[in-house]
Amino acid sequence: MEIDLFSSFKNQALEKGIVFYYSGKISQNAIATMGDVLKHRFENSENPSSTRKVFSSFIEMIQNALHYSPQSLDGNAEKIGAVAVGKQDGQYFIICGNVVGREFVSRISDKIDMVNGMSKEEVKAAYKAQLRSDDTTGDETSKGAGLGLLTIARDSALPIEYHFKSIAEYDNQYSELHLKTIL
Amino acid sequence: MEDLYIRATNDSPEVDFKYTFNQLTMSGEAYPEDASRFFYPIIMGLVDFLKVNTKPINFNFKLTYFNSASTKMLFNIFQLLNEHSAHQQTVTLNWIYDEEDDTIKDFGDDIAEEFPSLDFNAVTISAA
Repeated sequence: MEIDLFSSFKNQALEKGIVFYYSGKISQNAIATMGDVLKHRFENSENPSSTRKVFSSFIEMIQNALHYSPQSLDGNAEKIGAVAVGKQDGQYFIICGNVVGREFVSRISDKIDMVNGMSKEEVKAAYKAQLRSDDTTGDETSKGAGLGLLTIARDSALPIEYHFKSIAEYDNQYSELHLKTIL
Repeated sequence: MEDLYIRATNDSPEVDFKYTFNQLTMSGEAYPEDASRFFYPIIMGLVDFLKVNTKPINFNFKLTYFNSASTKMLFNIFQLLNEHSAHQQTVTLNWIYDEEDDTIKDFGDDIAEEFPSLDFNAVTISAA
């Protein structure tokens, strides 16, 4: 490997405004460590209120990835994903990539479309309704959008972007999901 | 009723429920992988305490971050305390937060509005 590869990677990251990037195994331990790193990055933030919101959306997205990722893509128990946090034109963005079973594709698309169609007031009302509902996890109901997605939507400046790509290697049983929010 | 103490971790809060003094405090951050599993035993213990409690309660809420699944659990806790405050002993909820933290302020406003029987007391601390 050329030692130069590192500086070209670094330059590209800088150019794209990347503040944090991770790709690989995801577990709750990895998430807690990433959370710590991100908090340190934000320690001297001029706008703690906005970086707190970035942290919140980051956790919701990566925990969502952990939640949906299949256990055994390759017969081993590791879940994999990638996440990037960056800042461009004064706005933070978070992109999260992970694998989801094909059966979740339409469900996830429907939920995001529904949330994207809501005004901020409607998001807030749906959030409160979800808090009040008897559903214990706040995320499993098939009727409404989950509390996690509503939390991301509450703080997003633009509609949540998503994209699915079917993975041919596994008989299209799985899709890669890319999720992006801008704050 | 025996006191409950749980040490904080990276992703779970410190829980310091001094049942013997009616002082219940929660601080730190809450984003465990399985919020129901973390909070279930805490809520069960609280339910038992509320059954036998005969004095006013102080609940000191000092969490600085909680994910959506933990928010749901906290909501359930405030619901229990609200019921108790309405029909038995007054529960004072001291909502202690950084004055610059809009998210926690807004959630506090929602809790105060949703659970009017709680004696809600917002306490701001200035950023370190």
